[in-house]
Amino acid sequence: MTNKQIACLFVVVLILGMLYAVVWAKGLSDKRQIEADDAQRQETDAQSQLDRERLQLAELRRQSADDIQFLETWQPFFETIDTAQSAEVNYTMLVKESSLVNLSQRFEQSGTKNPSVATVLRAYLTFEDDYVRLMNWMGDLETKLPTVRISNVHLTKGTRASDIRMELTLEHPLLKK
Amino acid sequence: MQLDARTIDDFKADRKGITPPLPTILRLVPILLYCSIAVTVLLVSLFLVQYRMATQKRDGHLLQAKTLLGQKDASRNDRSALEIRIKKATDVKSWVAGSRQLQPLIMEITRSMAPKSTIMDLRLERDAASPAQLNLAPRLGPDTTNQLDTTLERMATQKYRVLSPEQQLGRGELAYRATLIRQEPDRQPEAPLPPAPKP
Repeated sequence: MTNKQIACLFVVVLILGMLYAVVWAKGLSDKRQIEADDAQRQETDAQSQLDRERLQLAELRRQSADDIQFLETWQPFFETIDTAQSAEVNYTMLVKESSLVNLSQRFEQSGTKNPSVATVLRAYLTFEDDYVRLMNWMGDLETKLPTVRISNVHLTKGTRASDIRMELTLEHPLLKK
Repeated sequence: MQLDARTIDDFKADRKGITPPLPTILRLVPILLYCSIAVTVLLVSLFLVQYRMATQKRDGHLLQAKTLLGQKDASRNDRSALEIRIKKATDVKSWVAGSRQLQPLIMEITRSMAPKSTIMDLRLERDAASPAQLNLAPRLGPDTTNQLDTTLERMATQKYRVLSPEQQLGRGELAYRATLIRQEPDRQPEAPLPPAPKP
């Protein structure tokens, strides 16, 4: 080979090298463009997922507005007395303050089938006193403690004409926190 | 003195080892090289600019997608928290529905008694499975004529409906047993007065 031919060959190799560089740069650019398109698809998917999620949340909020309002209204009443000890002290005080003839009182803690009100303090109270006073006391109790459940009432005649004997079973809810 | 160039050339001796000139077509090789360099620089620059723009675009989309997914997760957490609150609200509603005041009902029953009638015994129990239902069991005496009807009418004013009534007439007394159901089961109980502050 002559020098000129070698030079030509060198030039051809150089041109091929440049061609390769162009192809490489194009490949790099195309690959990144594909990645960008994928990322755009991911963004679109994420946006649609977010829209769907927000729609579901808004729908759930709309459907449950009354329930949530109800909960917000009543929750403070459940939280006023939220431990078995404070509930027991409270009932003992209510009985003492009433000056009613209290024949017996007993407290026990027990479970319920209601998951949010899993525990109740159950109070077994027996009174024998004037009918009017007992009814007023019972009405006051149910007004002051609207969440208390009177699960059992048994009224019978008392020893005196105006007296009645009242056996009550109260359930004080202890709302799960 | 000037000599003719051809004449001078004639004086040149033939040089050995000189290669023959390249074919004419190969004279385009340098031109092709320069053009190739220019085109390569142009195209590579163009592709690198595209590469950089695509990188920025990709990073921007990925960042935005990450932000959106974060917002979606936050929204999902909100929904989960709301579902828990709804469950709690349903439970509280169920408890409250089973905690309606009994004193007004007892008062209506006692007020319904005629002068010659008495309540010998009154039992009012909440149903264990469905506390909103009440099991009523009074024993009335001694004059039970029309007394039961009057009592049931008064109870109806408290919006209770009587189900499965049973009555047993004995010697001067009437034993009655029934299940009471609130006539408006879906009605939300009225909100009571605000609670006293915690001690």
